[in-house]
Amino acid sequence: MSTLNVDALVGNTSANAITVRGEGSATTSLQQGLAKSWVCLKGSDTFAVRDSFNTASATDNGVGDYTTTRSNALANGDYATAGICSATGGGNPHYNFIVENSENSGTKIRTTTALRTYILNARDSESTNDAPDYSMTFMGDLA
Amino acid sequence: MASQLKVNTLTGVTTAGSINVTGEGNSTTTSLQQGLLKAWGLSNDGANTADSFNIGSATDNGTGNYTKTFTNNMATTDSSITATSAENQYGTMFSGGRLATNFTIKCETISGGALDSVIAYKVAGDLA
Repeated sequence: MSTLNVDALVGNTSANAITVRGEGSATTSLQQGLAKSWVCLKGSDTFAVRDSFNTASATDNGVGDYTTTRSNALANGDYATAGICSATGGGNPHYNFIVENSENSGTKIRTTTALRTYILNARDSESTNDAPDYSMTFMGDLA
Repeated sequence: MASQLKVNTLTGVTTAGSINVTGEGNSTTTSLQQGLLKAWGLSNDGANTADSFNIGSATDNGTGNYTKTFTNNMATTDSSITATSAENQYGTMFSGGRLATNFTIKCETISGGALDSVIAYKVAGDLA
């Protein structure tokens, strides 16, 4: 078994392109296969970042209204995100979901560094709602 | 001519768990370790595991309530865990708890009833 000890990987033909042999016969891009940012937030009680990667800041804009920013920007605004949040107790528990904007939420912000999202509760006319746990992952190209 | 390196394991020199990779734009680097997903999976009814990575076992806690246990644990309870549903047309799913050793996903209808569903999930964070 071989082990390569190295601190940095740079493509030879193109610095930004390294190919990795996949599990089967095809190859895949090392760069494009890496998540470029992720964050785990605490949305209720005292708003806080639990853990993160390439996240410069997280802002609590209001109830269920959070903006996170990237330390190193993405190349464009067309990155893929996936998120999930936890349920909330009270009169309308459960059924929280994350959107970028809706009739009942505020402005959409999706830039190369910033993403604003809203947590909605469908049982309460889609009102914004804080959630104890909020996770988001970003896939795309770095600038 | 493209160069090819054949190797089975990558380890950082300065720090074993830290390797940087040049990003797509050539202007910044990104962390290999922190960019790699640490687990993912697809469950056809939420309880079983059709395919997965770093998921050692799955527990059906009841209708729409599933716990996935890691083969290699995470470093903390603060992993970024996301999931989507394939056919949960009238419901949603939400995080039901996170530990370094496992996490729980719950699925419900809009009226609050537990609902079995296909779920796809992925975990980003730091390995123990």
